[in-house]
Amino acid sequence: MRRILIVGAGQSGLQLGLSLLAEGYDVTIMSARTPDEIRSGWVMSTQAMFATALQTERRYGLDLWQDQAPRIEGLHVSLSAPPGERALRIPCPLDEPAQSTDQRLKMATWLELFEQRGGTVHYQGVTTADLDGLTRLGRYDLTIVAAGKGDLVGVFDRDPLRSVHTAPQRGLAVAYVHGMTPDPLLPVPHVSFNAVPGLGELFVIPALTVSGPCEILFWEAVPGGPLDLWAERRDPAEHLKLTLDLVRRYTPWIYDRCVDVELTDGRATLSGRYTPTVRRPVAELPSGGLVLGMADVVVANDPITGQGSNTAAKCAYSYLGSILERGDQPFDREWMGQTFERFWTGAGEAVTGWTNAMLQPLPPHVQQLLGAAAENPTIARRFANGFSDPNDFQEWFMTPEAADRYLASVATG
Amino acid sequence: MASASLPDNPLLTSAKIVIAGGFGVGKTTCVQSISEIPPINTEAWMTAASETVDRLDPGIDKTTTTVAMDFGRRTIGTDLVLYLFGTPGQPRFWPMWDDLCRGAVGALVLADTRQLAASFPAVNYFEQDSDVPFVVCVNLFDGVLHHPLEEVREALALAAGVPLIACDARDPQSVARALLAVVEHAMARNPRPTAGALAAH
Amino acid sequence: MPMTYWKVRPYVLTAGRTRTRQPLLVHTLVSVPYYDAVFASGLLPEARSLYEHARRARSVAELSAVCGMTLGVTRVVVDDLAATDRLQIHDDAHSLDFRLLERLRDGLRQLA
Ligand SMILES: Nc1nc2c(ncn2[C@@H]2O[C@H](COP(=O)(O)OP(=O)(O)OP(=O)(O)O)[C@@H](O)[C@H]2O)c(=O)[nH]1
Ligand SMILES: [Mg+2]
Repeated sequence: MRRILIVGAGQSGLQLGLSLLAEGYDVTIMSARTPDEIRSGWVMSTQAMFATALQTERRYGLDLWQDQAPRIEGLHVSLSAPPGERALRIPCPLDEPAQSTDQRLKMATWLELFEQRGGTVHYQGVTTADLDGLTRLGRYDLTIVAAGKGDLVGVFDRDPLRSVHTAPQRGLAVAYVHGMTPDPLLPVPHVSFNAVPGLGELFVIPALTVSGPCEILFWEAVPGGPLDLWAERRDPAEHLKLTLDLVRRYTPWIYDRCVDVELTDGRATLSGRYTPTVRRPVAELPSGGLVLGMADVVVANDPITGQGSNTAAKCAYSYLGSILERGDQPFDREWMGQTFERFWTGAGEAVTGWTNAMLQPLPPHVQQLLGAAAENPTIARRFANGFSDPNDFQEWFMTPEAADRYLASVATG
Repeated sequence: MASASLPDNPLLTSAKIVIAGGFGVGKTTCVQSISEIPPINTEAWMTAASETVDRLDPGIDKTTTTVAMDFGRRTIGTDLVLYLFGTPGQPRFWPMWDDLCRGAVGALVLADTRQLAASFPAVNYFEQDSDVPFVVCVNLFDGVLHHPLEEVREALALAAGVPLIACDARDPQSVARALLAVVEHAMARNPRPTAGALAAH
Repeated sequence: MPMTYWKVRPYVLTAGRTRTRQPLLVHTLVSVPYYDAVFASGLLPEARSLYEHARRARSVAELSAVCGMTLGVTRVVVDDLAATDRLQIHDDAHSLDFRLLERLRDGLRQLA
């Protein structure tokens, strides 16, 4: 039986670990926290997952919250101009629902499930020295690093050709709340995406958290701008107050729904920022051991497109395929490189290109497409479904030429 | 002082108190004062990135730093060993802090009134990120308390429920009293189980 | 529902591993219940070093230090040896156990 070590117990690490167990592999996971610590800890993400990613979980019976998490039926895009006034509103229905399950709930349960199903877990915040020792031990046929928010990321070199940023592009501020009222103009669960051009974006995401259904208020602030109040970590109550102050000022149509909001629990806020980076997928440790990076360890995009957990799921699923196909052959450097390239061409490249584009001021052709989408539900639907499979954006969204072609075909079609 | 090796008792159990606080605040001295063995220093190296304490940012640059922690132990009776773990100075090694604090009876957060700010991150950690009961303790470097404890409490913005004491890290008895305060605080936070709860065991 | 996804029975069930998995803490004590020199000579270097040093009870952190292995490697090796019953993992006194706290308090009072 092949032995696989996965460092990191998040979306990608646990999904891959649980899938490999089901396929009969001997899997060990290193988790920095216990299930109870995860469950009672700080929120980690906004984790809205779309159909393509959810499908990769469903194949292995891992979508345990399908019946409890709100079914997100679409996106509701608003552009404000000037700041504070809504200039454009586009309801964008999804073909299949998206869902967001608080990772505190999901990862704690998955970790317990992993142990129950016979996986080995060590509770250990892994250092580079550990990684070096663990690969030298010769106990594992393959070591995968899936701990995207720790220092281990640093063992993987930045890929300058695939990385376009050298600094964070947004300051992030997340607050989980109870008590928001439905959107009177679109009273079904949906992701509300409110752009305040030049300053940032506000997202409202229906989710399932430890205390039940909730909404996530998520500001993406252009660094140094008036929305960027998030350079330091704040007390949760103050964090919520500042969040709501900004909502009232810049997106008053959302503020109307926030009269009675309160934080879902004492650790319901998150703030920070990071530099979107693509890294080389294979790292060699001082003793010669090789490790393969997965998901946001090697492809970390800004959350503006909400793709982090989706990309993690797709990466886990792609790596799973490569591992299974490898059979008894060695997991050598060449295989590791090919495994990453398969994920990169299948999902990583498109999501990275699209996300980086969305961080910029919207170019004229995108403004034109969104304007057309406000009038034409077919275009709006295609935009929404792109969040499930961003490869589609290449066909109609990413370049002025593709946009022209698409708009012409819709007009005649 | 007890011998260097532990009693040969299959029922031997262990407990742990964490000694935290800023750089140079006397953590190692404190461990040394009460340990029956010379403090054991272990090092791990990390590929540390940014200088920020931002949990989200893994940073871009690649440098290797060393994280040092030290620990000592004290045997109590024939069947209980108390371990004292000094945390690595900087809070950005928080996964290691979680590891050290997991299952601890409590924590003693040392503070130096000449550089109180150095202990802010440790206080923040125990206030916000950990459920381990903690006591803050001013280390009296020259045996004198330069500021009234009430002023220190205010400067650290300590919640009313957090005990604040003073000790001399070089004095074993003083350190034992500080550790006693930690244990008593932990007992107050977890009151004696009722007879019913005990019966359920 | 979940079992329908299994192609193979979980490793742990067939391997007969019974230990309920408490996390191995840095201060968890481990010891060799009965030393077996033949068994020791067949071990790989890391496991051998750990087995020798655990002839007297030691904490995971002490073993890591005396064996010159990182905590992560130490935990893996301890877990492997414990799975074969060659190593005993002592019960951690639970940090919320009132009687433990009383013993600690009384012990510290004698030092104070
Ligand atoms: N005079 C006096 N010196 C002390 C006292 N406590 C610590 N020191 C000295 O202060 C210096 C730092 O003490 P340490 O115990 O090494 O501090 P630490 O917190 O372990 O330091 P780091 O591990 O480097 O963060 C040493 O030179 C100690 O001898 C004290 O109570 N009085
Ligand atoms: Mg020290």
